[in-house]
Amino acid sequence: MKTNGLLHRSAVAVVVAGLAFSAAACSSSGGGSSSGDGGKAGDAGAPLDPATKVTITADCQPPTTKPAERKQWDDDIAAFNKIYPNVTIKATDGSPCEEPAKFTAQLAGKTQPDLFYAYFTDTNQILDAGGAQDISAYVNEKTVPALKDIDPSVLGTLKDADGKLYGLPVTNYKMGLIYNRKLFVQAGLDPDKPPTTWAEIREDAKKIAALGNGVNGYGDYSATNQGGWHFTAELYGLGGKMLSDDGKKVAFNSAEGKQVLQNLYDMRWTDNTMGATQGLKWPDLMTQTSTDKLGMYVGAPDDITYMVQTLKGNYEDYGMGPMPGGKSALLGGDGRFFKKGSTPDQIKAGVAWVNFKYLTMGKGQFDYSRNKTDGLPVGIPQPSFFGGASLAADNTAKAASATVPVKNYAPYVSTPVPGKTEPANAQQLYKVLDAAVSAVLTDKNADIAKLLTDAESQANQVLSSLQ
Amino acid sequence: MAGTISPYKTNRRSAPAGSGSAGRGAGGRERSGLGQKVRRNLSAHGFLFGALVCFGFFTWYPMVREVIMSFQKTKRGKTTWVGFDNLERIFDDPDFWHAWRNTFLFTLLALVLGFALPFFVAVLLNELRHAKAYLRILVYLPVMMPPVAAVLLFKYFYNPDYGLFNDILRTLHLPTSAWLNSPDTAMVSVVIAATWMNMGGATLIYLAALQGIPGELYEAADLDGAGLLRKLWHVTIPQTRLILSLLLLLQIVATMQVFVEPFLLTGGNGPQNSTMTVVYLVYEYAFDLGGNNYGVASALGLVMLVVLAGFSALYSRLSRNSDND
Amino acid sequence: MAAKEPQMRTIVPQTQLNRPLGKAVYWTVLTVVVVVFTLVFIGPLYWLVTGGLKSTQEVIQSPPTLFPSEIHWGTYATAWRELKIGRLLFNTVYYAFGALAFQLVFDVAAAYSLSKLRPVLGNVILGMMLATLMIPSAVLIVPQYLTVLDLPLLHLNLISTPWAIWLPTVANAFNIFLLKRFFDSIPQDLLAAAAIDGASPLRTLRSIVLPMSKPILGVVSIFAVVNVWKDFLWPMLVQPNPADQTLNIGIRSLATGVPQNVIIAALAIASAPTILFFLVFQRSIMSGLTSGGLKG
Repeated sequence: MKTNGLLHRSAVAVVVAGLAFSAAACSSSGGGSSSGDGGKAGDAGAPLDPATKVTITADCQPPTTKPAERKQWDDDIAAFNKIYPNVTIKATDGSPCEEPAKFTAQLAGKTQPDLFYAYFTDTNQILDAGGAQDISAYVNEKTVPALKDIDPSVLGTLKDADGKLYGLPVTNYKMGLIYNRKLFVQAGLDPDKPPTTWAEIREDAKKIAALGNGVNGYGDYSATNQGGWHFTAELYGLGGKMLSDDGKKVAFNSAEGKQVLQNLYDMRWTDNTMGATQGLKWPDLMTQTSTDKLGMYVGAPDDITYMVQTLKGNYEDYGMGPMPGGKSALLGGDGRFFKKGSTPDQIKAGVAWVNFKYLTMGKGQFDYSRNKTDGLPVGIPQPSFFGGASLAADNTAKAASATVPVKNYAPYVSTPVPGKTEPANAQQLYKVLDAAVSAVLTDKNADIAKLLTDAESQANQVLSSLQ
Repeated sequence: MAGTISPYKTNRRSAPAGSGSAGRGAGGRERSGLGQKVRRNLSAHGFLFGALVCFGFFTWYPMVREVIMSFQKTKRGKTTWVGFDNLERIFDDPDFWHAWRNTFLFTLLALVLGFALPFFVAVLLNELRHAKAYLRILVYLPVMMPPVAAVLLFKYFYNPDYGLFNDILRTLHLPTSAWLNSPDTAMVSVVIAATWMNMGGATLIYLAALQGIPGELYEAADLDGAGLLRKLWHVTIPQTRLILSLLLLLQIVATMQVFVEPFLLTGGNGPQNSTMTVVYLVYEYAFDLGGNNYGVASALGLVMLVVLAGFSALYSRLSRNSDND
Repeated sequence: MAAKEPQMRTIVPQTQLNRPLGKAVYWTVLTVVVVVFTLVFIGPLYWLVTGGLKSTQEVIQSPPTLFPSEIHWGTYATAWRELKIGRLLFNTVYYAFGALAFQLVFDVAAAYSLSKLRPVLGNVILGMMLATLMIPSAVLIVPQYLTVLDLPLLHLNLISTPWAIWLPTVANAFNIFLLKRFFDSIPQDLLAAAAIDGASPLRTLRSIVLPMSKPILGVVSIFAVVNVWKDFLWPMLVQPNPADQTLNIGIRSLATGVPQNVIIAALAIASAPTILFFLVFQRSIMSGLTSGGLKG
């Protein structure tokens, strides 16, 4: 639960999103070329030789609570084994795929699986524990054909300071503004034109809150580190920075940082559009939105999936717009890392599997026609780490099989806000900022400047102790 | 440590402490005293073996390791000695003092609710002439639930928007509360849930103790014309003092290491860190926030150990003094 | 025990209750107590059972409904199937009774040895055991985990095996203390007589000590089972594989992506076995807990 639950939920629901296309990519990654040049273990850059007999362990198989995703996993393993009959993937399921305590314990004991799940923000921890293998030599256009289309900032989260790669991305999200279209209509607002600045959000929030009956205009988290997480997202939206360029000090005590807290303060106390109940944490805002009690909040696309699948809301009622401020949007997600000490064949098999299941248009998570058949949503704008030809193919395929009202996310999709990854040591910083956000939302006499200054000195102390 | 337990109940041993008690019975074979002693010791240690191995592996050895780790740091697979760096780090952390304040507050609240309430309930049940068995079962029911069920159920009740508690308050036209969501009420809410879950055990123990009070004492008090409160104060409490003081100690030690309830109810820290306890801080250093700070976590554990040991020593001294009165 | 036992003299004398005013006050108090206790302790269980019968929207609606507007039995089936409660339940029982068996063997033997055989350094060992009572278990969890990962000298890895749960529970100073104190109260003369007859310590334990110790064995057994039943952080760390997890861990982790009504149904199912067990055996459990050597 707690902090990670929220960054991570993406993983749970996200296997779902996607596009369909190009089966060609996978065949090129698989057999063909590798049999030619032998694919010997010594040649790290070559794809796995289909004749290789190798066993890898993996986590994050979809749990029994997700029957459709679980069936797809089994089918994909079978299809993968047609290409690589001698690769055995021993999987354990997980929900959530990462539990902070278990994850840390596994790293300490070196008991993580050969191919293991982790969030982008875990890279430091994994490297500190010496838990992951450098896979730079194994990842290239031959083993991962879509590599050139993957957002470099996403790949950057999986690299160390020297640029060595330790994992492959599997899914990601970019934050935006999620809103309740039903309430927009009731309040006389245009549901196809969500607000894009904080000034507009304040105005629209007033109109929505005026509906009464316990409806709030805007909501935000302020507990279990999610307050700090959203502070960061909103700071990024305004163009602010979390860390100084050398990464040694925090940089959030800035005009943008003050504005983030001031916006929240004004909406909570001056406009009174956020309601008296604060201290919210994931999934409270989704619960409120799905019961038509909340107009707008900052969130990730797969929140919509959660509101429909788990909270039994309707896709028709939810829309998504770009990150308010529009300067940059917080980008997070997860990938698969390779356990330190894996053999070259194991790494190759792992790369081949991740490529097959998560990085190939038309296959695995991007098999949209199958998602449609299995009743999984198609058309949610997530994951979003592809650009170039893959992005175009993805959009076409997604449109062809869409099961959700794609036009509801047009404001979000058509305004491409550049993604910005989370800061190093994100959870420690979020924890410090949580207190500031919570104070602004619960204390009418909160002194924003002082809160930020206190948070700054505390966060700097945390950072220096981590050096 | 044994001293802290002793006020609880001192069963007079039927044989003098120390060696020789078994030897007395086998007096006829005094000649082979030494061999006898060795054999007896061998078999005695044989009986101890299983428990000793388990204590050794799973408690004593980890304790030693804890102390060692307190002075070490592991980074990128390399372990180095860092002296008192870890201790310095925790004393510099504002959360440290915050966590201690919360822990004491939690303990205090838990004593009012978790210690006094079961005693009150036990006294009440002991007075009743009817429905006793039924009530006793009721109080113990939550103890039988898996904690995750009780805790998640309370989390559902506490929800400010759709929870049962606020609905009851609204129905009664009372002001509602943010419960776990507010820094002011989060801690109390955790204690209420914990008390509901756990009070059955203490209540039953008190009930047993109350039933052991000789009725003549009350009769004598009646003859003196003592009122209800005076009887409670001068008969009931003194007569159950031993069990009360043992449970008080256990309760304090237990509440100071409370983990599951805040972890599941508020995610551990709670709003503005209002439910962050020392044990949670240990957990956070070691396992959360991507820290891997086993050294710092161990150091904090050590500090906690010293505080608890000091407290226990103080406690046993105080209770011994009052025994001598 | 319970209602049939003769009422002992307590704070309120019987004579006072026989007066009209006393009677009125007594019956008022009794009624209030019965009603309040029923609400406080049965009420949540009612909410649990009926919550599992509501639809997803109904469980999160405000104000909540007292009765499900429509009965959804299917929720219970979904919860049972998707959260694999049967498996989790089996695991928990398996760990709990395994731990019980090890504790009954090793802890009883140890307490017997410390109480009756009195080996050299016995008091030191007892002191070292009792000292562990003061150590918060969460504090030791890091070195304990590293130990279980690679047992010193033997170099065994116990993670994902039931041993990782069973063996550490033997290091239970409180149970050893309870047992030893009870054994202390068994007259030494009885054992001495057996020794003269040539009975070995094991035989003495089996044929004299254990039959006399049923109450305390009952108490220790309850504690042993309840401890495993309630444990959280430790099983979460040492059983990383979802198929090996206990109820507490399994339900909590699967609950993140499941509708609220399904979670509630799962909690109701998970609570049922122990509560039913308790209701069936409450008489012996209660008498064990209230008279079994715990009182002063």
